[in-house]
Amino acid sequence: MKRAALLALLVAAIVVAFVLAKGSGSNNNTSTSASGAPVTIHVVNGKPQGGIQKITLNKGDRVRFTVDSDVSDEIHVHGYNFHKDVKKGGSVSFNFPATIDGIFVIELESRGEQIASLQVNQ
Amino acid sequence: MRRWPLAAALAAGPVAGVLFPPPAAAHGIVARTDLPIPVWLFGWAAAVVLIVSFAALAALWPTPRLQGEVPERRLFRIPVAVDVVVGAAGIAALGITVYAGIAGLQNALGNLEPTVIYVLFWVGLVVASVLFGDIWRVISPWRALARAASWVSSRLSSGEPPAALEYPKWLGRWPAAAGILFFAWVELTYVNKDDPSTLAIMVLAYVVVMLVGMALYGIETWSERADPFGVYFGLFARLSAFERRDGVVYARPPLAGAPKLELWPGTIALLCVAIGSTTFDGLENGPLWGSVRLHLISFFGGGLTGEQWGSTVGLLVCIAVVAVFYRLAVGGMSEVGEDHTPSELAQKFAHTLIPIAFAYALAHYFSLLVFQGQAMAHLISDPLGRGSDIFGTSRTGIDYNVISAAGIWYVQVAALVIGHVSGLILAHDRAVAMYRDVRDAVRSQYWMLVVMVGFTSLGLWLLSAVNT
Repeated sequence: MKRAALLALLVAAIVVAFVLAKGSGSNNNTSTSASGAPVTIHVVNGKPQGGIQKITLNKGDRVRFTVDSDVSDEIHVHGYNFHKDVKKGGSVSFNFPATIDGIFVIELESRGEQIASLQVNQ
Repeated sequence: MRRWPLAAALAAGPVAGVLFPPPAAAHGIVARTDLPIPVWLFGWAAAVVLIVSFAALAALWPTPRLQGEVPERRLFRIPVAVDVVVGAAGIAALGITVYAGIAGLQNALGNLEPTVIYVLFWVGLVVASVLFGDIWRVISPWRALARAASWVSSRLSSGEPPAALEYPKWLGRWPAAAGILFFAWVELTYVNKDDPSTLAIMVLAYVVVMLVGMALYGIETWSERADPFGVYFGLFARLSAFERRDGVVYARPPLAGAPKLELWPGTIALLCVAIGSTTFDGLENGPLWGSVRLHLISFFGGGLTGEQWGSTVGLLVCIAVVAVFYRLAVGGMSEVGEDHTPSELAQKFAHTLIPIAFAYALAHYFSLLVFQGQAMAHLISDPLGRGSDIFGTSRTGIDYNVISAAGIWYVQVAALVIGHVSGLILAHDRAVAMYRDVRDAVRSQYWMLVVMVGFTSLGLWLLSAVNT
Protein backbone atom coordinates (compact mmCIF):
# COMPACT_ATOMS: atom_id res chain seq x y z
CA MET A 1 0.00 0.00 0.00
CA LYS A 2 2.82 2.35 0.82
CA ARG A 3 4.49 1.40 -2.41
CA ALA A 4 1.31 2.02 -4.29
CA ALA A 5 1.18 5.56 -2.99
CA LEU A 6 4.88 6.00 -3.74
CA LEU A 7 4.53 4.88 -7.30
CA ALA A 8 1.49 7.04 -7.81
CA LEU A 9 3.54 9.97 -6.55
CA LEU A 10 6.31 9.03 -8.94
CA VAL A 11 3.98 8.95 -11.91
CA ALA A 12 2.57 12.29 -10.85
CA ALA A 13 6.12 13.64 -10.57
CA ILE A 14 6.99 12.47 -14.09
CA VAL A 15 3.86 14.09 -15.40
CA VAL A 16 4.60 17.35 -13.62
CA ALA A 17 8.13 17.26 -14.99
CA PHE A 18 6.74 16.85 -18.50
CA VAL A 19 4.36 19.69 -18.08
CA LEU A 20 7.01 22.00 -16.61
CA ALA A 21 9.47 21.10 -19.32
CA LYS A 22 6.82 21.82 -21.88
CA GLY A 23 5.80 25.10 -20.32
CA SER A 24 9.32 26.41 -19.88
CA GLY A 25 10.59 25.22 -23.19
CA SER A 26 7.87 26.56 -25.37
CA ASN A 27 9.43 29.94 -25.99
CA ASN A 28 13.08 29.24 -26.54
CA ASN A 29 13.15 30.09 -30.21
CA THR A 30 14.59 33.49 -30.92
CA SER A 31 12.37 34.22 -33.78
CA THR A 32 10.73 36.68 -35.99
CA SER A 33 7.28 35.67 -36.93
CA ALA A 34 5.30 37.09 -39.75
CA SER A 35 1.85 36.40 -40.94
CA GLY A 36 2.21 37.27 -44.56
CA ALA A 37 4.53 40.24 -43.89
CA PRO A 38 7.93 39.99 -45.55
CA VAL A 39 10.85 38.84 -43.42
CA THR A 40 14.54 39.41 -43.97
CA ILE A 41 17.03 36.79 -42.87
CA HIS A 42 20.58 38.05 -42.44
CA VAL A 43 23.27 35.47 -42.96
CA VAL A 44 26.54 36.46 -41.26
CA ASN A 45 29.57 34.18 -41.56
CA GLY A 46 27.36 31.52 -43.06
CA LYS A 47 24.97 31.52 -40.10
CA PRO A 48 21.58 33.15 -39.54
CA GLN A 49 21.86 36.28 -37.41
CA GLY A 50 19.95 35.75 -34.16
CA GLY A 51 19.60 32.02 -34.63
CA ILE A 52 17.25 30.04 -36.81
CA GLN A 53 14.50 32.41 -37.92
CA LYS A 54 10.88 31.43 -37.80
CA ILE A 55 8.29 32.22 -40.42
CA THR A 56 4.77 31.29 -39.38
CA LEU A 57 1.70 31.70 -41.51
CA ASN A 58 -1.47 30.00 -42.59
CA LYS A 59 -2.10 27.82 -45.57
CA GLY A 60 -3.20 30.02 -48.45
CA ASP A 61 -1.07 33.02 -47.36
CA ARG A 62 1.93 34.07 -49.40
CA VAL A 63 5.37 33.18 -48.13
CA ARG A 64 7.59 36.23 -48.59
CA PHE A 65 11.12 36.47 -47.34
CA THR A 66 14.50 37.82 -48.34
CA VAL A 67 17.91 36.40 -47.54
CA ASP A 68 20.91 38.76 -47.23
CA SER A 69 24.04 36.72 -47.24
CA ASP A 70 27.73 37.38 -46.78
CA VAL A 71 28.54 33.98 -48.27
CA SER A 72 27.62 32.58 -51.64
CA ASP A 73 25.40 29.51 -51.49
CA GLU A 74 22.08 28.12 -52.63
CA ILE A 75 18.95 28.70 -50.59
CA HIS A 76 16.72 25.64 -50.46
CA VAL A 77 13.16 25.64 -49.17
CA HIS A 78 12.50 21.99 -48.31
CA GLY A 79 9.16 20.39 -49.09
CA TYR A 80 8.26 23.15 -51.53
CA ASN A 81 11.58 22.40 -53.16
CA PHE A 82 12.48 25.93 -54.27
CA HIS A 83 16.14 26.61 -54.93
CA LYS A 84 17.73 30.02 -55.54
CA ASP A 85 21.38 30.99 -55.63
CA VAL A 86 22.64 33.87 -53.57
CA LYS A 87 25.96 35.62 -54.23
CA LYS A 88 28.41 36.71 -51.58
CA GLY A 89 27.16 40.05 -50.28
CA GLY A 90 24.00 39.72 -52.31
CA SER A 91 20.39 39.08 -51.50
CA VAL A 92 17.61 36.95 -52.92
CA SER A 93 13.86 37.09 -52.39
CA PHE A 94 11.19 34.41 -52.33
CA ASN A 95 7.51 34.93 -52.88
CA PHE A 96 5.27 31.90 -53.24
CA PRO A 97 1.88 30.71 -52.03
CA ALA A 98 1.79 28.52 -48.90
CA THR A 99 0.07 25.50 -50.40
CA ILE A 100 1.48 22.73 -48.16
CA ASP A 101 0.98 22.59 -44.41
CA GLY A 102 3.70 21.40 -42.06
CA ILE A 103 7.07 22.61 -40.85
CA PHE A 104 9.84 23.01 -43.40
CA VAL A 105 13.55 23.65 -43.20
CA ILE A 106 15.05 26.54 -45.14
CA GLU A 107 18.78 26.08 -45.45
CA LEU A 108 22.02 27.03 -47.09
CA GLU A 109 22.17 23.96 -49.25
CA SER A 110 25.90 23.41 -49.72
CA ARG A 111 26.72 24.20 -46.10
CA GLY A 112 23.78 22.23 -44.77
CA GLU A 113 23.12 25.16 -42.41
CA GLN A 114 19.50 25.75 -41.44
CA ILE A 115 18.68 29.46 -41.50
CA ALA A 116 14.94 29.44 -41.02
CA SER A 117 11.98 27.27 -40.22
CA LEU A 118 8.81 27.77 -42.22
CA GLN A 119 5.65 26.78 -40.41
CA VAL A 120 2.47 26.66 -42.44
CA ASN A 121 -0.56 26.11 -40.24
CA GLN A 122 -3.58 24.60 -41.80
CA MET B 1 -9.32 3.53 -0.46
CA ARG B 2 -5.98 2.39 -1.74
CA ARG B 3 -6.76 2.93 -5.37
CA TRP B 4 -7.35 6.64 -5.18
CA PRO B 5 -3.79 7.95 -5.26
CA LEU B 6 -3.22 5.86 -8.35
CA ALA B 7 -6.38 6.95 -10.04
CA ALA B 8 -5.57 10.56 -9.26
CA ALA B 9 -2.11 10.19 -10.71
CA LEU B 10 -3.49 8.54 -13.80
CA ALA B 11 -5.96 11.29 -14.28
CA ALA B 12 -3.33 13.95 -13.68
CA GLY B 13 -1.24 12.70 -16.57
CA PRO B 14 -3.22 13.51 -19.65
CA VAL B 15 -5.33 16.21 -18.07
CA ALA B 16 -2.40 18.29 -16.84
CA GLY B 17 -0.99 18.24 -20.33
CA VAL B 18 -4.12 19.85 -21.68
CA LEU B 19 -3.72 22.93 -19.54
CA PHE B 20 -0.48 23.94 -21.16
CA PRO B 21 -0.31 24.93 -24.80
CA PRO B 22 2.14 23.15 -27.07
CA PRO B 23 5.46 24.97 -28.41
CA ALA B 24 13.81 20.97 -37.13
CA ALA B 25 14.38 18.03 -38.97
CA ALA B 26 17.25 15.74 -37.92
CA HIS B 27 17.23 13.66 -41.04
CA GLY B 28 18.39 14.52 -44.52
CA ILE B 29 15.40 12.68 -45.94
CA VAL B 30 12.82 14.44 -43.80
CA ALA B 31 11.66 17.42 -45.87
CA ARG B 32 8.54 18.15 -43.88
CA THR B 33 7.91 17.91 -40.14
CA ASP B 34 4.41 17.35 -38.81
CA LEU B 35 2.60 20.22 -37.18
CA PRO B 36 2.13 19.66 -33.44
CA ILE B 37 -1.22 18.13 -32.55
CA PRO B 38 -3.46 20.96 -31.33
CA VAL B 39 -4.53 21.34 -27.71
CA TRP B 40 -8.15 20.38 -28.34
CA LEU B 41 -7.18 17.10 -29.97
CA PHE B 42 -4.66 16.39 -27.23
CA GLY B 43 -7.45 16.92 -24.71
CA TRP B 44 -9.87 14.64 -26.50
CA ALA B 45 -7.29 11.93 -26.94
CA ALA B 46 -6.30 12.10 -23.28
CA ALA B 47 -9.92 11.95 -22.21
CA VAL B 48 -10.60 8.95 -24.42
CA VAL B 49 -7.53 7.19 -23.06
CA LEU B 50 -8.70 7.70 -19.49
CA ILE B 51 -12.28 6.64 -20.13
CA VAL B 52 -11.16 3.59 -22.08
CA SER B 53 -8.75 2.64 -19.34
CA PHE B 54 -11.28 2.69 -16.57
CA ALA B 55 -13.90 1.05 -18.76
CA ALA B 56 -11.36 -1.69 -19.45
CA LEU B 57 -10.95 -2.29 -15.74
CA ALA B 58 -14.69 -2.44 -15.25
CA ALA B 59 -15.53 -4.62 -18.25
CA LEU B 60 -13.45 -7.57 -17.20
CA TRP B 61 -13.50 -10.90 -18.80
CA PRO B 62 -12.80 -13.46 -16.08
CA THR B 63 -11.14 -16.15 -18.20
CA PRO B 64 -8.28 -15.69 -20.64
CA ARG B 65 -9.20 -15.52 -24.31
CA LEU B 66 -5.95 -15.03 -26.14
CA GLN B 67 -3.74 -17.51 -24.31
CA GLY B 68 -3.06 -20.96 -25.66
CA GLU B 69 -5.26 -22.19 -28.48
CA VAL B 70 -7.21 -19.47 -30.25
CA PRO B 71 -9.80 -20.02 -32.96
CA GLU B 72 -8.24 -19.78 -36.38
CA ARG B 73 -9.37 -20.30 -39.92
CA ARG B 74 -7.38 -21.96 -42.68
CA LEU B 75 -7.22 -19.60 -45.64
CA PHE B 76 -4.94 -20.87 -48.39
CA ARG B 77 -1.59 -22.45 -49.10
CA ILE B 78 1.33 -20.46 -50.42
CA PRO B 79 3.58 -22.85 -52.36
CA VAL B 80 7.33 -22.91 -51.81
CA ALA B 81 7.83 -21.55 -55.33
CA VAL B 82 6.49 -18.21 -54.09
CA ASP B 83 9.14 -18.21 -51.36
CA VAL B 84 11.80 -18.77 -53.98
CA VAL B 85 10.57 -15.97 -56.23
CA VAL B 86 10.03 -13.46 -53.39
CA GLY B 87 13.37 -14.38 -51.83
CA ALA B 88 15.09 -13.84 -55.17
CA ALA B 89 13.34 -10.48 -55.47
CA GLY B 90 14.57 -9.63 -51.96
CA ILE B 91 18.13 -10.48 -52.94
CA ALA B 92 17.80 -8.39 -56.11
CA ALA B 93 16.42 -5.44 -54.12
CA LEU B 94 19.30 -5.73 -51.68
CA GLY B 95 21.76 -5.79 -54.56
CA ILE B 96 20.25 -2.74 -56.27
CA THR B 97 20.08 -0.81 -52.99
CA VAL B 98 23.69 -1.50 -52.08
CA TYR B 99 24.87 -0.80 -55.62
CA ALA B 100 23.04 2.54 -55.66
CA GLY B 101 24.57 3.38 -52.30
CA ILE B 102 28.08 2.76 -53.53
CA ALA B 103 27.93 3.85 -57.16
CA GLY B 104 25.27 6.56 -56.97
CA LEU B 105 25.23 10.22 -56.11
CA GLN B 106 26.31 10.67 -52.49
CA ASN B 107 23.22 12.61 -51.51
CA ALA B 108 20.46 11.60 -49.10
CA LEU B 109 17.54 12.53 -51.34
CA GLY B 110 18.97 11.96 -54.81
CA ASN B 111 20.07 8.38 -54.10
CA LEU B 112 17.63 5.50 -53.88
CA GLU B 113 19.34 3.85 -50.95
CA PRO B 114 18.58 6.06 -47.89
CA THR B 115 14.87 6.14 -48.73
CA VAL B 116 14.76 2.35 -49.19
CA ILE B 117 16.49 1.80 -45.84
CA TYR B 118 14.85 4.45 -43.67
CA VAL B 119 11.38 4.55 -45.18
CA LEU B 120 10.44 1.36 -47.04
CA PHE B 121 12.41 -1.03 -44.87
CA TRP B 122 12.48 0.50 -41.40
CA VAL B 123 8.95 1.95 -41.40
CA GLY B 124 7.15 0.25 -44.27
CA LEU B 125 7.89 -3.27 -43.10
CA VAL B 126 6.66 -2.53 -39.58
CA VAL B 127 3.29 -1.50 -40.99
CA ALA B 128 3.24 -4.37 -43.50
CA SER B 129 4.08 -6.89 -40.77
CA VAL B 130 1.11 -5.81 -38.69
CA LEU B 131 -1.19 -5.87 -41.72
CA PHE B 132 -0.07 -9.08 -43.38
CA GLY B 133 1.94 -11.06 -40.84
CA ASP B 134 5.55 -12.11 -40.95
CA ILE B 135 6.23 -11.37 -44.61
CA TRP B 136 9.81 -10.36 -43.84
CA ARG B 137 10.69 -14.02 -43.29
CA VAL B 138 10.03 -14.58 -46.97
CA ILE B 139 11.52 -11.34 -48.28
CA SER B 140 14.66 -11.32 -46.10
CA PRO B 141 17.54 -11.42 -48.58
CA TRP B 142 20.01 -12.90 -46.10
CA ARG B 143 17.62 -15.63 -45.06
CA ALA B 144 16.93 -16.37 -48.72
CA LEU B 145 20.65 -16.47 -49.45
CA ALA B 146 21.26 -18.81 -46.54
CA ARG B 147 18.42 -21.12 -47.60
CA ALA B 148 19.67 -21.17 -51.17
CA ALA B 149 23.18 -21.96 -49.96
CA SER B 150 21.99 -24.76 -47.71
CA TRP B 151 19.89 -26.21 -50.55
CA VAL B 152 22.88 -26.16 -52.90
CA SER B 153 25.22 -27.71 -50.36
CA SER B 154 22.74 -30.46 -49.56
CA ARG B 155 22.60 -31.26 -53.28
CA LEU B 156 26.36 -31.30 -53.69
CA SER B 157 27.37 -33.30 -50.65
CA SER B 158 25.84 -36.67 -50.07
CA GLY B 159 26.72 -36.86 -46.37
CA GLU B 160 24.82 -35.43 -43.44
CA PRO B 161 25.07 -31.63 -43.18
CA PRO B 162 27.16 -30.55 -40.20
CA ALA B 163 25.02 -30.14 -37.10
CA ALA B 164 24.34 -26.56 -36.01
CA LEU B 165 25.94 -25.32 -32.83
CA GLU B 166 23.64 -25.03 -29.88
CA TYR B 167 22.48 -21.45 -29.51
CA PRO B 168 23.29 -20.30 -25.97
CA LYS B 169 20.14 -19.95 -23.89
CA TRP B 170 21.32 -16.86 -22.08
CA LEU B 171 21.91 -15.06 -25.37
CA GLY B 172 18.21 -15.12 -26.27
CA ARG B 173 17.20 -12.02 -28.18
CA TRP B 174 20.11 -9.91 -26.91
CA PRO B 175 21.81 -9.82 -30.34
CA ALA B 176 18.55 -8.49 -31.78
CA ALA B 177 18.29 -5.84 -29.07
CA ALA B 178 21.89 -4.77 -29.69
CA GLY B 179 21.36 -4.70 -33.45
CA ILE B 180 18.23 -2.56 -33.30
CA LEU B 181 19.96 -0.23 -30.85
CA PHE B 182 22.83 0.12 -33.30
CA PHE B 183 20.45 0.82 -36.19
CA ALA B 184 18.61 3.44 -34.10
CA TRP B 185 21.95 4.98 -33.21
CA VAL B 186 22.93 5.19 -36.87
CA GLU B 187 19.56 6.58 -37.88
CA LEU B 188 19.19 9.16 -35.14
CA THR B 189 22.65 10.24 -34.10
CA TYR B 190 25.43 9.06 -36.40
CA VAL B 191 27.13 11.88 -38.30
CA ASN B 192 27.06 9.94 -41.58
CA LYS B 193 23.54 8.61 -41.20
CA ASP B 194 22.51 9.82 -44.65
CA ASP B 195 25.73 9.00 -46.44
CA PRO B 196 24.82 6.33 -49.03
CA SER B 197 28.21 4.63 -49.33
CA THR B 198 28.67 4.37 -45.55
CA LEU B 199 25.21 2.84 -45.25
CA ALA B 200 25.97 0.41 -48.09
CA ILE B 201 29.07 -0.85 -46.33
CA MET B 202 27.12 -1.32 -43.11
CA VAL B 203 24.45 -3.27 -44.98
CA LEU B 204 27.06 -5.57 -46.49
CA ALA B 205 28.70 -6.11 -43.09
CA TYR B 206 25.29 -6.89 -41.64
CA VAL B 207 24.59 -9.48 -44.33
CA VAL B 208 27.94 -11.16 -43.71
CA VAL B 209 27.33 -11.35 -39.96
CA MET B 210 23.86 -12.78 -40.56
CA LEU B 211 25.14 -15.42 -42.98
CA VAL B 212 27.86 -16.51 -40.56
CA GLY B 213 25.35 -16.63 -37.71
CA MET B 214 22.88 -18.71 -39.69
CA ALA B 215 25.64 -21.04 -40.84
CA LEU B 216 26.76 -21.63 -37.25
CA TYR B 217 23.47 -21.81 -35.37
CA GLY B 218 20.96 -22.79 -38.03
CA ILE B 219 18.82 -20.56 -40.21
CA GLU B 220 15.61 -20.69 -38.16
CA THR B 221 17.21 -20.40 -34.73
CA TRP B 222 19.30 -17.43 -35.82
CA SER B 223 16.42 -15.70 -37.62
CA GLU B 224 14.07 -16.02 -34.66
CA ARG B 225 16.50 -14.92 -31.98
CA ALA B 226 19.52 -13.08 -33.24
CA ASP B 227 18.77 -11.45 -36.62
CA PRO B 228 17.81 -7.96 -35.41
CA PHE B 229 15.41 -7.11 -38.21
CA GLY B 230 14.01 -10.62 -38.41
CA VAL B 231 13.16 -10.48 -34.72
CA TYR B 232 12.00 -6.85 -34.84
CA PHE B 233 9.55 -7.26 -37.73
CA GLY B 234 8.56 -10.65 -36.30
CA LEU B 235 7.43 -8.95 -33.07
CA PHE B 236 5.03 -6.73 -34.98
CA ALA B 237 3.81 -9.65 -37.09
CA ARG B 238 2.50 -11.17 -33.84
CA LEU B 239 -0.16 -8.44 -33.76
CA SER B 240 -1.34 -9.43 -37.23
CA ALA B 241 -4.50 -11.36 -38.02
CA PHE B 242 -2.55 -13.66 -40.34
CA GLU B 243 -0.06 -16.37 -39.66
CA ARG B 244 1.66 -18.81 -41.98
CA ARG B 245 2.64 -22.25 -40.73
CA ASP B 246 4.02 -25.01 -42.95
CA GLY B 247 3.08 -23.03 -46.01
CA VAL B 248 -0.56 -22.56 -45.00
CA VAL B 249 -1.94 -19.13 -44.14
CA TYR B 250 -4.37 -18.97 -41.21
CA ALA B 251 -6.57 -16.12 -40.03
CA ARG B 252 -6.62 -15.58 -36.28
CA PRO B 253 -7.87 -12.85 -33.95
CA PRO B 254 -5.59 -9.79 -34.09
CA LEU B 255 -3.11 -9.66 -31.17
CA ALA B 256 -3.41 -13.43 -30.66
CA GLY B 257 0.18 -13.99 -31.70
CA ALA B 258 1.56 -11.69 -29.00
CA PRO B 259 0.88 -13.88 -25.93
CA LYS B 260 2.88 -16.65 -27.60
CA LEU B 261 6.01 -14.51 -27.35
CA GLU B 262 8.74 -16.75 -25.96
CA LEU B 263 10.27 -15.47 -22.74
CA TRP B 264 13.83 -15.45 -23.99
CA PRO B 265 16.39 -13.11 -22.44
CA GLY B 266 16.79 -9.78 -24.19
CA THR B 267 13.15 -9.49 -25.25
CA ILE B 268 12.31 -6.69 -22.83
CA ALA B 269 15.50 -4.89 -23.79
CA LEU B 270 14.53 -5.09 -27.46
CA LEU B 271 11.10 -3.62 -26.76
CA CYS B 272 12.56 -0.85 -24.59
CA VAL B 273 14.98 -0.01 -27.40
CA ALA B 274 12.11 0.09 -29.90
CA ILE B 275 9.97 2.39 -27.74
CA GLY B 276 12.86 4.45 -26.39
CA SER B 277 14.40 5.17 -29.77
CA THR B 278 11.11 6.39 -31.23
CA THR B 279 10.68 8.48 -28.09
CA PHE B 280 14.03 10.09 -28.68
CA ASP B 281 13.24 10.75 -32.34
CA GLY B 282 10.12 12.58 -31.20
CA LEU B 283 11.91 14.36 -28.39
CA GLU B 284 14.49 15.69 -30.85
CA ASN B 285 11.80 17.78 -32.51
CA GLY B 286 10.69 19.32 -29.24
CA PRO B 287 11.68 22.24 -27.05
CA LEU B 288 12.90 20.16 -24.10
CA TRP B 289 15.63 18.61 -26.19
CA GLY B 290 16.25 21.96 -27.86
CA SER B 291 17.26 23.43 -24.52
CA VAL B 292 19.39 20.48 -23.36
CA ARG B 293 20.98 19.81 -26.72
CA LEU B 294 23.37 22.75 -26.88
CA HIS B 295 24.84 21.96 -23.46
CA LEU B 296 25.44 18.37 -24.46
CA ILE B 297 26.98 19.35 -27.80
CA SER B 298 29.44 21.71 -26.15
CA PHE B 299 30.18 19.12 -23.48
CA PHE B 300 31.26 16.73 -26.23
CA GLY B 301 33.49 19.30 -27.89
CA GLY B 302 30.98 20.92 -30.23
CA GLY B 303 30.50 20.51 -33.93
CA LEU B 304 28.94 17.55 -35.66
CA THR B 305 30.77 15.01 -33.53
CA GLY B 306 29.63 16.81 -30.40
CA GLU B 307 26.09 16.62 -31.72
CA GLN B 308 26.47 12.92 -32.42
CA TRP B 309 27.58 12.06 -28.90
CA GLY B 310 25.11 14.46 -27.34
CA SER B 311 22.33 12.71 -29.22
CA THR B 312 23.74 9.35 -28.20
CA VAL B 313 23.29 10.35 -24.57
CA GLY B 314 19.73 11.46 -25.31
CA LEU B 315 18.94 8.18 -27.05
CA LEU B 316 20.30 6.06 -24.21
CA VAL B 317 18.51 8.14 -21.59
CA CYS B 318 15.20 7.70 -23.40
CA ILE B 319 15.65 3.93 -23.56
CA ALA B 320 16.63 3.85 -19.89
CA VAL B 321 13.58 5.90 -18.91
CA VAL B 322 11.30 3.46 -20.74
CA ALA B 323 13.01 0.49 -19.08
CA VAL B 324 12.95 1.96 -15.58
CA PHE B 325 9.32 2.93 -15.90
CA TYR B 326 8.33 -0.58 -16.95
CA ARG B 327 10.44 -2.08 -14.19
CA LEU B 328 8.85 0.15 -11.53
CA ALA B 329 5.39 -0.89 -12.61
CA VAL B 330 6.13 -4.62 -12.53
CA GLY B 331 7.76 -4.00 -9.14
CA GLY B 332 4.42 -2.61 -8.04
CA MET B 333 2.58 -5.57 -9.50
CA SER B 334 4.75 -7.97 -7.55
CA GLU B 335 3.40 -6.47 -4.31
CA VAL B 336 -0.13 -7.46 -5.19
CA GLY B 337 0.07 -11.01 -3.99
CA GLU B 338 0.62 -14.64 -5.02
CA ASP B 339 4.38 -14.09 -4.85
CA HIS B 340 5.28 -13.41 -8.43
CA THR B 341 8.72 -11.85 -8.61
CA PRO B 342 9.25 -8.59 -10.52
CA SER B 343 11.50 -10.25 -13.08
CA GLU B 344 8.98 -13.01 -13.73
CA LEU B 345 6.26 -10.40 -14.20
CA ALA B 346 8.48 -8.29 -16.42
CA GLN B 347 8.90 -11.31 -18.70
CA LYS B 348 5.30 -12.40 -18.65
CA PHE B 349 3.96 -8.96 -19.54
CA ALA B 350 6.65 -8.03 -22.05
CA HIS B 351 4.37 -8.80 -25.00
CA THR B 352 1.98 -6.05 -23.88
CA LEU B 353 4.64 -3.55 -24.98
CA ILE B 354 4.49 -4.70 -28.62
CA PRO B 355 1.36 -2.68 -29.49
CA ILE B 356 2.84 0.32 -27.69
CA ALA B 357 5.99 0.04 -29.78
CA PHE B 358 3.86 -0.20 -32.91
CA ALA B 359 1.71 2.77 -31.91
CA TYR B 360 4.83 4.87 -31.34
CA ALA B 361 6.35 3.85 -34.65
CA LEU B 362 3.16 4.52 -36.61
CA ALA B 363 2.36 7.82 -34.89
CA HIS B 364 5.86 9.03 -35.42
CA TYR B 365 6.68 7.80 -38.91
CA PHE B 366 3.31 7.73 -40.65
CA SER B 367 3.83 10.99 -42.52
CA LEU B 368 7.36 9.99 -43.49
CA LEU B 369 5.99 6.82 -45.04
CA VAL B 370 3.18 8.63 -46.84
CA PHE B 371 5.30 11.46 -48.19
CA GLN B 372 8.83 10.17 -48.62
CA GLY B 373 7.37 6.81 -49.72
CA GLN B 374 6.17 8.61 -52.85
CA ALA B 375 9.76 9.43 -53.68
CA MET B 376 10.21 5.76 -54.60
CA ALA B 377 8.40 6.52 -57.87
CA HIS B 378 11.16 8.73 -59.14
CA LEU B 379 13.99 6.99 -57.28
CA ILE B 380 13.42 3.65 -59.02
CA SER B 381 13.68 5.42 -62.36
CA ASP B 382 16.88 7.14 -61.32
CA PRO B 383 18.33 5.02 -58.51
CA LEU B 384 21.80 6.47 -58.72
CA GLY B 385 20.63 10.06 -58.96
CA ARG B 386 22.58 10.52 -62.18
CA GLY B 387 19.75 11.51 -64.49
CA SER B 388 18.55 8.16 -65.83
CA ASP B 389 14.85 7.54 -66.48
CA ILE B 390 14.37 3.78 -66.55
CA PHE B 391 10.61 3.64 -66.04
CA GLY B 392 9.74 7.11 -67.26
CA THR B 393 8.82 8.29 -63.77
CA SER B 394 11.94 10.22 -62.87
CA ARG B 395 10.11 13.54 -63.04
CA THR B 396 7.34 12.66 -60.61
CA GLY B 397 7.46 14.58 -57.38
CA ILE B 398 5.97 14.25 -53.92
CA ASP B 399 2.40 15.38 -53.45
CA TYR B 400 2.36 16.80 -49.95
CA ASN B 401 -1.34 17.36 -50.13
CA VAL B 402 -2.42 13.69 -50.36
CA ILE B 403 -3.31 13.97 -46.70
CA SER B 404 -3.90 17.12 -44.67
CA ALA B 405 -2.21 17.99 -41.42
CA ALA B 406 -5.48 17.16 -39.66
CA GLY B 407 -5.59 13.78 -41.36
CA ILE B 408 -2.12 13.01 -40.04
CA TRP B 409 -3.12 14.07 -36.52
CA TYR B 410 -6.08 11.71 -36.55
CA VAL B 411 -3.90 8.81 -37.66
CA GLN B 412 -1.34 9.60 -34.96
CA VAL B 413 -3.87 9.89 -32.18
CA ALA B 414 -5.80 6.83 -33.37
CA ALA B 415 -2.57 4.81 -33.43
CA LEU B 416 -1.77 5.77 -29.84
CA VAL B 417 -5.28 5.12 -28.54
CA ILE B 418 -5.61 1.77 -30.34
CA GLY B 419 -2.13 0.75 -29.20
CA HIS B 420 -3.10 1.69 -25.65
CA VAL B 421 -6.28 -0.40 -25.75
CA SER B 422 -4.42 -3.34 -27.31
CA GLY B 423 -1.80 -3.20 -24.58
CA LEU B 424 -4.50 -3.19 -21.91
CA ILE B 425 -6.29 -6.14 -23.52
CA LEU B 426 -3.12 -8.21 -23.70
CA ALA B 427 -2.18 -7.35 -20.11
CA HIS B 428 -5.58 -8.14 -18.71
CA ASP B 429 -5.72 -11.43 -20.57
CA ARG B 430 -2.33 -12.44 -19.25
CA ALA B 431 -3.26 -11.40 -15.72
CA VAL B 432 -6.42 -13.54 -15.56
CA ALA B 433 -4.40 -16.45 -16.89
CA MET B 434 -1.65 -15.99 -14.29
CA TYR B 435 -3.36 -15.13 -11.06
CA ARG B 436 -5.39 -17.73 -9.22
CA ASP B 437 -7.62 -15.07 -7.68
CA VAL B 438 -9.42 -12.80 -10.13
CA ARG B 439 -9.29 -9.96 -7.60
CA ASP B 440 -5.50 -10.17 -7.52
CA ALA B 441 -5.51 -10.14 -11.30
CA VAL B 442 -7.55 -6.96 -11.29
CA ARG B 443 -5.39 -5.31 -8.66
CA SER B 444 -2.29 -6.14 -10.61
CA GLN B 445 -3.83 -4.35 -13.57
CA TYR B 446 -3.78 -0.99 -11.83
CA TRP B 447 -0.07 -1.17 -12.33
CA MET B 448 -0.31 -2.10 -15.97
CA LEU B 449 -2.70 0.80 -16.33
CA VAL B 450 0.04 3.07 -15.02
CA VAL B 451 2.39 1.71 -17.67
CA MET B 452 -0.08 2.07 -20.51
CA VAL B 453 -1.37 5.51 -19.52
CA GLY B 454 2.21 6.62 -18.96
CA PHE B 455 3.39 5.52 -22.38
CA THR B 456 0.32 6.88 -24.12
CA SER B 457 0.60 10.24 -22.37
CA LEU B 458 4.27 10.38 -23.29
CA GLY B 459 3.42 9.57 -26.90
CA LEU B 460 0.76 12.28 -27.03
CA TRP B 461 3.06 14.76 -25.39
CA LEU B 462 5.80 14.06 -27.92
CA LEU B 463 3.35 14.73 -30.74
CA SER B 464 2.15 17.96 -29.17
CA ALA B 465 5.54 19.35 -28.21
CA VAL B 466 7.01 19.85 -31.66
CA ASN B 467 9.32 22.81 -31.93
CA THR B 468 7.70 25.34 -34.16
